[in-house]
Amino acid sequence: MLYNSKDKQGLFISIGLLYSTLLLTLFSGCNVDEMQTVVNFTNVTMEDDFEGSTINNSLWNFDVGTGNAISGQGWGNNELQYYTDRAENITVEDGNLKITAIKESFMASGYTSARINTAGKFEQEYGRFEARIQLPWGQGLWPAFWLLGNNIDEVSWPQCGEIDIMEYRGQAPTNLLGSVHGPGYSAGNAIGKNYKLENDRFDTGFHIFGIEWGPDYINYYVDDVLYNQITPGDVNGEWVFDHPFYIIINLAVGGNFVGSPNASTVFPQTMLIDYVRVYSAEN
Amino acid sequence: MQNIKYTFPNILLLLAFMFLAVSCGRDLSDDATEATFPKNGDVFIDDFSPGLEYLPYGDSNFEAFSVDTDIKYAGSASMRFDVPNEGDPKGAYAGAIFPDNGGRNLTEFDALTFWAKGTEANTVNDIGFGQDFGENKYEVGIENGLQLTTNWKKYTIPIPDPSKLTQEKGLFWYAEGPQDGKGYSFWIDDLQFVKLGTIAQPRPSIYDGTNVTVQTFLGLTTQIPSTRLTVNLEEGIDRTVNVAAGYFEFTSSDLNVATVDELGLITAVSNGTTVVTAKLNGVDAVGSVTLEVSGTFENAPMPPSRNPDDVISIFSNAYEDEPVDYYNGFWAPFQTTQGGNNLTVNADDILSYSELNFVGIQFSENVPTIDVSQMTHFHFDVQVREEVEPGDFLTVRLVDAGADNVIGGNDDTSSEITLTNTELKEGEWLSLDVPFTSFGSLSSRSHLGQIIFVTDATIENIYVDNVYFYKESGGGSSEPTTAAPSPLQDPDDVISVFSDAFTNISGTDLNPNWGQATMVSETTIAGNNTLLYQGLNFQGIQLGSSQNVSGMEFLHIDYWTANSSALNTFLISNGPVEAANAMSVPTNGWVSIDIPLGSFSPVDLADIIQLKFDGNGDIYLDNIYFYSEGNGSTEPTQAAPTPMQDPGMVISVYSDAYTNIGGTELNPNWGQATVVSEIFIDGNNTLLYSGLNYQGIQLGSSQNVTGMEFLHIDYWAANSSALNTFLISNGPVELAFEMGVPTNGWVSIDIPLGSFSPVDLADIIQLKFDGNGDIYLDNIYFFGNEIRIEPELPLTFEDGINSVIAFDNGATATVIDNPDMSGNTSTKVLEFSKVMGSAWYSGVVFDETLRTTPLIDLTNGTVFTIKIWSPTPGVIVRFQLEGGAAPAYEVFQTVNDANQWVTLTYDFTSQVNASDTYPRFSVFPDFDTSNQNPVAVGAIYYIDDVSQQ
Repeated sequence: MLYNSKDKQGLFISIGLLYSTLLLTLFSGCNVDEMQTVVNFTNVTMEDDFEGSTINNSLWNFDVGTGNAISGQGWGNNELQYYTDRAENITVEDGNLKITAIKESFMASGYTSARINTAGKFEQEYGRFEARIQLPWGQGLWPAFWLLGNNIDEVSWPQCGEIDIMEYRGQAPTNLLGSVHGPGYSAGNAIGKNYKLENDRFDTGFHIFGIEWGPDYINYYVDDVLYNQITPGDVNGEWVFDHPFYIIINLAVGGNFVGSPNASTVFPQTMLIDYVRVYSAEN
Repeated sequence: MQNIKYTFPNILLLLAFMFLAVSCGRDLSDDATEATFPKNGDVFIDDFSPGLEYLPYGDSNFEAFSVDTDIKYAGSASMRFDVPNEGDPKGAYAGAIFPDNGGRNLTEFDALTFWAKGTEANTVNDIGFGQDFGENKYEVGIENGLQLTTNWKKYTIPIPDPSKLTQEKGLFWYAEGPQDGKGYSFWIDDLQFVKLGTIAQPRPSIYDGTNVTVQTFLGLTTQIPSTRLTVNLEEGIDRTVNVAAGYFEFTSSDLNVATVDELGLITAVSNGTTVVTAKLNGVDAVGSVTLEVSGTFENAPMPPSRNPDDVISIFSNAYEDEPVDYYNGFWAPFQTTQGGNNLTVNADDILSYSELNFVGIQFSENVPTIDVSQMTHFHFDVQVREEVEPGDFLTVRLVDAGADNVIGGNDDTSSEITLTNTELKEGEWLSLDVPFTSFGSLSSRSHLGQIIFVTDATIENIYVDNVYFYKESGGGSSEPTTAAPSPLQDPDDVISVFSDAFTNISGTDLNPNWGQATMVSETTIAGNNTLLYQGLNFQGIQLGSSQNVSGMEFLHIDYWTANSSALNTFLISNGPVEAANAMSVPTNGWVSIDIPLGSFSPVDLADIIQLKFDGNGDIYLDNIYFYSEGNGSTEPTQAAPTPMQDPGMVISVYSDAYTNIGGTELNPNWGQATVVSEIFIDGNNTLLYSGLNYQGIQLGSSQNVTGMEFLHIDYWAANSSALNTFLISNGPVELAFEMGVPTNGWVSIDIPLGSFSPVDLADIIQLKFDGNGDIYLDNIYFFGNEIRIEPELPLTFEDGINSVIAFDNGATATVIDNPDMSGNTSTKVLEFSKVMGSAWYSGVVFDETLRTTPLIDLTNGTVFTIKIWSPTPGVIVRFQLEGGAAPAYEVFQTVNDANQWVTLTYDFTSQVNASDTYPRFSVFPDFDTSNQNPVAVGAIYYIDDVSQQ
């Protein structure tokens, strides 16, 4: 799913209309292609199509348990699940990575699920990061596809920066949230935007969630729709997105963002990831 | 007359087809378009859409519906529905269908949506689409009704499979009765079929999602019940609809055994086993039926031959039936019962009822009422077609229309009998001959108009046959038609020789050979074992062991004889020493006699070994036992025991010891006969149910009792032989718990709430009791043994209730007397013990688990203060708002001064959104992120006066 500049032109105009009379003025007076720096992220730097039957350990790490020294208990969000690396919770099958949240008693938690990351194995500054995903559904399910700054151990969160490409609440099957966290704009003050899918849902088919990230901007996409651009002018603090980040994919159960599952939540729930791809700028 | 307008499009249609048929060889002209149905999804936006018609149900209130131009959601008008009051002479409920009899093509839509609101937050019982007063093949209705609010709210009813609706007539239907006897109004606007694209996760089911096994017989048919669909809506919530079987595709694993038609009717065609499953729009339905077909159907017993003049038959192939209005009135809106006179096996017609809650046979409206005043008995045969469980019952009610011959006039009388699980047996015909004396409150039977069967869905499938009235000709019957009365004694006060109601003395020989001529047998009368002596001369009973009955007061015997002229009972002690007691014969029905044991003197009551009868004729005997009256009182002399539960762990329905749920109605009118009163016993309010048949308690508000473990009830019942307690959640979903009766004094019972599964403990709305006798009740409450979490800010702990939970790995929280009154005069405070080994982040959580409103509403303030007492200085105390939809926020404060009360202020103003709410917050004394190891040295902190500013 590559974007040529022609597509972008139309998309930027719609964003301009929504967001800024300044942009609108610029667009109305000038040729768009002349005004913006067009970067084509066409150079594939990482690609996992999840073929075969095993998870590529040279690319992915498993997070196991109910939190770590950095996140704290409940992964910092009062999440309810225990993450495992068991095949019940995470496996590669039928060309997809399957992360399954199960309602079961396990290590004093009421649910199990899985979370993987590429820390130390794949980290990149700028580029297009995208994944094709079919999401689970139901109150209390919280899947996410996101990036963390690779200097988190040194400067800690949120100074390291966090780019949430996709966060979703199982009880809002047509909505997702894309946002950034950094110093002065973390947690509830994160900068982001909701995207609502019209006449469709995220749990009934695959959708592509992506960002295009350059030195002064992060553009957010769902499928071929650009729905938000975040620039240094949008954040109430230091822009901390100029160093390599790594990828995290997880399916949380409960937690501050979604609330707990209820009696109507159907388990198990599965998040299907068809592929994860990262591109860098051509040069 | 309206119909003329709607036959018109059909004629056009017919003409179009004729034109097509005769026009071969020619191309269609541009004017001749193929007959199609309009794809218009609009039902009522601001007016009737083209073709839409309003057809109220025949017995409903015709004035219930109107077009309202004042109150509307959008545009210029809405649909208004005025639900009448109970007993409204113009029709006591509102209900109608809104068809377009031309038919619409709805295949491109996936839902019916509309906006609605009510004058009250009631539940509209039935609402949906697909009713057309035809076969309703594609009917859909919201399961459990539509929950209105008093504000406009949007509702979505999914179309289970739009491809089926190529020419649907039924665009909308509803039915709603008064709520608690009172009418109200509701509005619907912008009613239309739409394509949402966001209806997903379809979960169809049949048989309530269960896999059931049904034994059936050749040629019999079974309708697949409970065809439903649950989907997830755009709002993320589930919606369940009742879906007509016509939407489903059914499969029988062995078509040689049974076939299924497209409307879900299974027909058994040969012996064997087959599994019937279903799909809806390509999705497998949960639930199935395994049909075991074996042999032929056993018909009801052939009625005895009687002089036709002595019989008035309602439904029997043995006699000529009187005309009736119907065998199933499908009484809307509350009746669920299906079936009626639709089963014929071996040339015998049988009434087959399914999904039974109640059903009536009526003969009063279009046919004359029936005078059965010359008859003596009511006969019917009934067979239960499912497992019979405790609490199951079948009530049969006869209704006399009175002199006005109108059911529902003001001179109706009725009376009923009830059969319970002890009499009813699965798969067996029960033949009942009930004398009219058993229908005591039927003061007239000259204008009989209805026979009603009621099970309240405890039994949903029955066959009924040979329903008739008859007159005993000549000298009366030669055998009892009813069982002997059920004994009411407390088993603890009884030594039983022969009775189904008690444990009998083991090893007893009912027919010892003492040289007698009497023929002894045991016979079953109305499901009850009965001892029969035929041609009595004398007859002994050898007890299994010598009995000491000196602690007893009476010998009880039930007996029945139509042809005896002499009968004596002997009690025999070792020696032998015997004494006789003469009994009055013949009897008119069963006679119960209680012979004082003193009258058998000089028999040694400490050493009874035998009983003996002599006399003549045929004698039926039952319930032969010794008993004492116990305390014998008919009402309690003492109050029920005082409850000991901590008020913080109790949700009380009825008790002087606790605050009861406000607004609870102790005597809602559910049509019961029970007389309810509150009496004072020993200074204690006590609830008395006199003459219980059934009785409800309507809670003032829905209760979430998931945090509770038990339902506690104190009860006292000297003369009851059956008592069940029901817990009822919204739906309604209810389940019975059988209580031991009669009681000897007050009995306290703690019923585990798990026993009431599948009742939804998060949404308890009612309690119900059924049974008989006079019941005294007190201290009805839910309680838990775990700490109940119901904090309320400000939290002072002065009530001594611990409403917090300590975490993690051993930390504890307890409410104690304030150990240091110097800086805080409060009497009670919270002691938090961060013990050795507990987690470094240990703290206490204040949670709203059982509250109905958020614990923290930031509109009340965004600053929090606590008083804390720390044994060491410099301790960081973290305060976190958490658990809600909004993000969690934390603030840290340091305790500078040790060993004294200090106040810490936590200001969240800069972080939070002041309109957010949170269900809980936590306090973390000594939150030291620099040392995330288990606590090495334990410490105790005191917390008090948590408040919000």
